[in-house]
Amino acid sequence: MRILHNTNLDFLGKRKIFYIVSLSVIILGMIVLYLKPIPLGIDFLGGTELQVKFTNQIDVGEIRNEMDKNDFPGMEIKTMGTSKDILLRTPLQGEGQTVSDKIISVLKTSFTNNNFSVERIDKVGPKIGSELRTKALFAVIFSLLGILIYLAFRFQFIYALGAVIALFHDVLITVSAVALFDLMIPNLKLELNQTMLAAFLTLIGFSVNDTVIIFDRIRENIKLFKNENILTVMNKSVNATLSRTIITSGTVFLTILVLFLFGGEVLRGFSFTFGVGIITGTYSSVFVASSIVVDWKNRVHDKFVKGKPKLSTAK
Amino acid sequence: MKKNLARIVLTGVFILFAFYFIYPTYRDYQLNKELSVKSGQDSIDYITTYGDKLKKAREDRIKLGLDLKGGMYVVLDVDVIKFLEDIAKKKDDILSGILGELKEQTKTTDLPVIDLLVSKLNAKGLTLKSYYGGDRDDLKTIEKKLNDEIDNAIDIAVRVVRTRVDQYGVAEPQLQKIGNKRIIVELPGVNNPDEVRKLLQGTALLQFQLMKDPAFSYKVMQSINKVLAGDTSQISMTDSSKSINTKDTTKITKKDTTSIKSTDKKDKSKTDDKKDLAKNKKDTTKTGKTKDSLKNKDTASLKDTSSVQDSLANMSDEEKRKKFPFFMLVKLYEGGGADGYVEENDRPKVEFILKRPDIKAIIPSDMGYFWSQKTIDIEGKKYYILYGLKKDAELTGKVIEDAKSTIDPQSNSPVVSMSMSSEGAREWARITGANINKRCAIVLDGIVYSAPVIKSKITGGNSQIEGMANIQEAKLLEIVLKAGALPAPLKIIEERSIGPSLGEDSINKGLTSSLGALILVALFMVWYYKFGGSIADTALIINVLFVVGVMAAFKATLTLPGIAGLILTLGMAVDTNVLIFERIREELDSGKPLKTCIEIGYKKAFSAIIDSHITSVITGIILYQFGSGPIQGFALTLLIGVVVNLFTAIVITHFIFDILLEKGKKLSFG
Repeated sequence: MRILHNTNLDFLGKRKIFYIVSLSVIILGMIVLYLKPIPLGIDFLGGTELQVKFTNQIDVGEIRNEMDKNDFPGMEIKTMGTSKDILLRTPLQGEGQTVSDKIISVLKTSFTNNNFSVERIDKVGPKIGSELRTKALFAVIFSLLGILIYLAFRFQFIYALGAVIALFHDVLITVSAVALFDLMIPNLKLELNQTMLAAFLTLIGFSVNDTVIIFDRIRENIKLFKNENILTVMNKSVNATLSRTIITSGTVFLTILVLFLFGGEVLRGFSFTFGVGIITGTYSSVFVASSIVVDWKNRVHDKFVKGKPKLSTAK
Repeated sequence: MKKNLARIVLTGVFILFAFYFIYPTYRDYQLNKELSVKSGQDSIDYITTYGDKLKKAREDRIKLGLDLKGGMYVVLDVDVIKFLEDIAKKKDDILSGILGELKEQTKTTDLPVIDLLVSKLNAKGLTLKSYYGGDRDDLKTIEKKLNDEIDNAIDIAVRVVRTRVDQYGVAEPQLQKIGNKRIIVELPGVNNPDEVRKLLQGTALLQFQLMKDPAFSYKVMQSINKVLAGDTSQISMTDSSKSINTKDTTKITKKDTTSIKSTDKKDKSKTDDKKDLAKNKKDTTKTGKTKDSLKNKDTASLKDTSSVQDSLANMSDEEKRKKFPFFMLVKLYEGGGADGYVEENDRPKVEFILKRPDIKAIIPSDMGYFWSQKTIDIEGKKYYILYGLKKDAELTGKVIEDAKSTIDPQSNSPVVSMSMSSEGAREWARITGANINKRCAIVLDGIVYSAPVIKSKITGGNSQIEGMANIQEAKLLEIVLKAGALPAPLKIIEERSIGPSLGEDSINKGLTSSLGALILVALFMVWYYKFGGSIADTALIINVLFVVGVMAAFKATLTLPGIAGLILTLGMAVDTNVLIFERIREELDSGKPLKTCIEIGYKKAFSAIIDSHITSVITGIILYQFGSGPIQGFALTLLIGVVVNLFTAIVITHFIFDILLEKGKKLSFG
């Protein structure tokens, strides 16, 4: 049994089409993001968040009414999966812990015939929120930088650049996808929190892994097929690694799909984001990272080897 | 074969190590499962027999993060600004204005507060001297002193939080000081935010509590003993009780000469105190001859004690244990009044006994048992002291204005002097006057730091506590007395509490679905790569085993992002095998013999494997370095996983193929 054995598809010849595809998805995503940003989780925003479980079903509107009446106007209240699990959130932190206590007491007095248990309380101060934001940002920027330097050292600078641009592309597409799906499927309730951050980190790791493996084959094939032009060599390499790419991405995607479906509320944001990331990561390794390398090599070639036929020899 | 032998041995050793480190986790799970089905007396029995093993297993097992286990996570910030305001020698609008600005500023910067303060003062043409210095001090000294005081205040805060957390009795509390003024507290399994907040944030409660009359206290203990003796058959006690000889008794006696007296020069009673103290010492050494005694200075009121003691001497250990189960755990020694000496290991048992409803019913409502803050060494064993105190405090620490530990030049021994506010001094005079020769315990947050004897009526509010073993002990007492009003208040800046049900739910769902996914992937590998796939699956299992083993060895905490890291790692492990197998297939297509194909396959896949793994290592290290809590958890598992994966993919699977080839097995790669 072999999947996609001995294929000879011209991936890179069609790269212009895929540039357009990528760009339009990103632009669409950015528009959606602009119109309806992914809500920042309490981790980054600061505030108080409670998750409560009622014994009987409860109407979110009713809770909102009670909260509006009791010093918490405009509080964010939503269900978590079932209409018994309710998430309440306010940007208020309060000195000490008065905010969550007040919310609990309002719930207690308002819904006397519907008992509830407090599943989770998070309170994050504004300093922690901003610290977390900067730390996360630095962590991502520095790891991209680290990848850039290592790959430049192991391959060539243009490969490293292609890989990092592909990573940016993946993050942008995934953010767009998250925004888009969040808009289309209101039940998904995605938000940018630490778990989603972990998903982005994982997808960066996964995507760069994929890219490196294709690059490795290109590096090998360039030595083997010295007389072929770069486009052919790269197409050969992508085709040669295609079955590996499909199997690996497929199995990891399968794992994530299982987590998404059965992993519970906490893992949902993670598995959704990473799932999207696997698809775009696999796609970008070929259509972004490798395409950029091809285009760059062609440009360099045009500039310095004028007169000779275009796309002649590799390197 | 030689080359393979080394690899086999190495792999075998690693697998053994992994099992060695994972075993405590399994053991803890198993012991707790057994414990949970037992109840009441049986569970005491169980704890007695397996206590040490339980404790050890719990210490060595893989810890679960709060997101998986439920519990509370609190970040406390020491309010240095408030402290600066409190200790300023002069307070005016300019200073409070500056401190207000500072408060805003420290929300966004981590620069040293003092540097900021200095620059702000300088901008207004002022110096630290205006608010914090004496006349003759130069600026450098003031700055250093101020910094020292801040450090000291933070140290106290950390110490107080630690005591409170320990005292709260949570299993495996984690306490960590991060940055220069932040404390992270993790309390697994705790789901009472209210109580924890009060516990952590409230100022430390320092109380002076009078000791119950020893004779009375002893009677209560006897009653406890009687109740326990009624069902001794069910309590098995470990044989830890050996009679303690006179030498030790003297040691204890010495310890108990802690006394409190007035330092007011005008107070004539001081000389009397000395005499009194000397007399007291003589007294105790005189009675110190009796062995294993339950006697007290106050012999008259303790007649039945001696009878107990007599009968004790004639009893065998077995009988003793049956008749005096409580006194076998809580030993009374002379000079100690009704202080119970409990061996370190026995403390949980005694705590358990004291919490029993039938025992609680015996203890009078105005009385409570309190533990000493530290242990004392007797015959190489560590003992906690159990004090019977009046529940209501005579006085709280609010009245203390200052405390200082010094060496008394006359006796050359450490003393702590404390001064009280005028209001406190009046109360203190009344209390001390009415309770001369009785003992008054200094209790901070329910822990007894010292229980000196009141030697005289103290009128001026200036008291001196003596009898500490060394200057460190005195210093600690000084801190405790001052901490009564925690110098720098603590503010909760982040708090997360996760209900245990949510934690359990998420771990169960996460684990079962991960396991399910893993099985699916494993099945796919066998279907697609046939025999090769089964080797890959073996590698996958070894991989999980090693990652978990390494995590257990590092005592790392498993969190949800950690599981995410594990999933990425396993994805990479599958990928590595796929890479190798695809290469082997390519070579097989060109018709080379199997052995050569495997060799070439491994060789050609190597550079891709190395590059992808090193990129992951770089990312992992950077994320670990710059990330905070959850990101670090992710990075750590990723790092461990990547390194382990390199080993399993390159070494283990390769030699398995080698061995099988040598044996002439037919291998298929689908």
